[in-house]
Amino acid sequence: MVSSVIQRQDQFYRNHKIRDAIGEAIYREMEANPAIYLFGEGAWVKQFYDAPRIYKTFADRIVTLPICEDGSVNFAVGASLLGITAVVDVITADFLYRAMDSICNTAAKLSFLRDTPSTIVIRAEFLTGGPTTGQRPEALFTHIPGLDVIIPSTPRDAYGLMRTALNAPGVTLFFEDRMIRDDLHQETDCRLTEQIGVGYSLVRRSGNVKPDCTVVTYGLMRQMVEQALDPMLNIDLIDLRSIYPLHWMGIAASTRRSKKLLIIEPDIQYGGVGAEIAATIAEKQPDVRVKRLGGWRAVIPAAVEHHQRIIPNEEQIVHAVANW
Amino acid sequence: MLLQIGKTTLTERMILIRAVEDKLQELCLEGLAGDLHFSRGQEAISVGVCAALRETDYVVTHHRSIAHAIAKGVPLGPLLAEILGKSNGLNNGMAGEMHLSCPEKRFMFSWQLVGTCVPVAAGLAWAVKNYLKTDDIVVVFHGDAAAANGQWHEGVNIAAVQKLPLLLVCENNHVAGNIRSEYYQPVSWVRESLGGYGIQSDIVDGNEVEEVHLAAENAVEWVRTERRPFMLECDTTRLGRHKQGQGDLRTKEELARLAERDPLRNIKVEERQGIEARVRKLVQEALEGA
Repeated sequence: MVSSVIQRQDQFYRNHKIRDAIGEAIYREMEANPAIYLFGEGAWVKQFYDAPRIYKTFADRIVTLPICEDGSVNFAVGASLLGITAVVDVITADFLYRAMDSICNTAAKLSFLRDTPSTIVIRAEFLTGGPTTGQRPEALFTHIPGLDVIIPSTPRDAYGLMRTALNAPGVTLFFEDRMIRDDLHQETDCRLTEQIGVGYSLVRRSGNVKPDCTVVTYGLMRQMVEQALDPMLNIDLIDLRSIYPLHWMGIAASTRRSKKLLIIEPDIQYGGVGAEIAATIAEKQPDVRVKRLGGWRAVIPAAVEHHQRIIPNEEQIVHAVANW
Repeated sequence: MLLQIGKTTLTERMILIRAVEDKLQELCLEGLAGDLHFSRGQEAISVGVCAALRETDYVVTHHRSIAHAIAKGVPLGPLLAEILGKSNGLNNGMAGEMHLSCPEKRFMFSWQLVGTCVPVAAGLAWAVKNYLKTDDIVVVFHGDAAAANGQWHEGVNIAAVQKLPLLLVCENNHVAGNIRSEYYQPVSWVRESLGGYGIQSDIVDGNEVEEVHLAAENAVEWVRTERRPFMLECDTTRLGRHKQGQGDLRTKEELARLAERDPLRNIKVEERQGIEARVRKLVQEALEGA
């Protein structure tokens, strides 16, 4: 039996550290910037449970809206035109499909039309639970000009990247992966210290001058890969942290030496983030061989056991690295 | 009677819009302008409503935005340059006629996608009320067909729930492109849809500028005092095509009948001439720009 990466609901709801880090970042920024407001369906209830300090301190800056994701993002766009920095929480990543028009057709266009672009951060979390409760639509947004897409894999990154996003003009999709396990974070990954620049990957493991392989991954798969792979392997392991903008320099600096790239992604492989990285590296560094490991192009099943089968597991990761 | 608005009368403003759009239409036919959307026949609404606003009130509108921009006082030179696709235009050539904005004149947002303007305007109204905390109001213009769109309903619902100072001005021209309202509107008037949202409304002949102006003054005053949404529905006529690249399926007889309600039907040629000469000069300058 391969170890599970997709957790049941009663398990993943115990993962608090990344969520708390995001809450802490927002709290810090709300203290510093009175223009930050939180928008979303059931917003006050979510803050009441998830970020009680925000709820207690900034209750008048939480705008509770009806269940209308598309209208909510457009509403936040309107508020942002008068100087508000908007955090819109659509709750579940699948619900982003309901807000595609307002995100891609309205919000994403603002920075091209305004001299002073607004700051809008759209939050969503990855879950499991069935066909419309477990999808990972992140790659779609990397295709749209005007959007940044952040997927932190540690509390430290979640904190630092959220703080940066709240200070940068433009629209950011900020994903929170509820499948990333609290008990596997290293102590250094939990230090909430500073802002982290968007568009910079992090080298999680370094091989020697000539690594056997460059492994590029993000989000849930970062933790999975670290769990699966022997720490003594001579590989470079890169956590992207933001899938747009991509840290090409970081990837290329490693592949220049390793000549072998393996991209491991938690999302559907077809037309995904890995495809973009593979194609670009193949164009820019023709001597680098590229390989991908990602999810099936399948509907998310309700049963957790089935969900686990359609995204890479530890066995596949070990096999992919060993045979590359 | 001509009402004095600053230095121009309501009628003069309507003539200005008509003259600008007529000139732009010529350019469309010559291939010098794109697939523009004109408000011919609907000018009384933008002029009458905007004249009832303070300079500090905000305007949001839809894709048929040229009349509203002019009525809100957006400078004509940069506006024309933008509409004609010039990089020195109002929005650096990025917006075109359907995404115009001029925050200095509080002409905040116009958007091609039908319905989007309503939730965006609701968000603006929310920020005016709860963030800026001024007694300005937001006016959003939308067509009758927008009321068939989910964004219209989501925006109207939030405006009602949040009690926002938002004046919805429905330009009901009874047609969506070439589609008759029987295909998208189950009631005679859009305001009938508002009952479920608890929003009050008024209806006016949208082709009589003084009537529009008077009704708008009342509506604006109500929204400013009550800090709640209100709709002013304007019964109007689009006398031109939906857009320049699309044919018009209406018969000549029908268009002639609609033209009897043209808000500018009683204007004498000499009243137009001075304004037209000025517009020609401005358009020429815009064309010669970058």
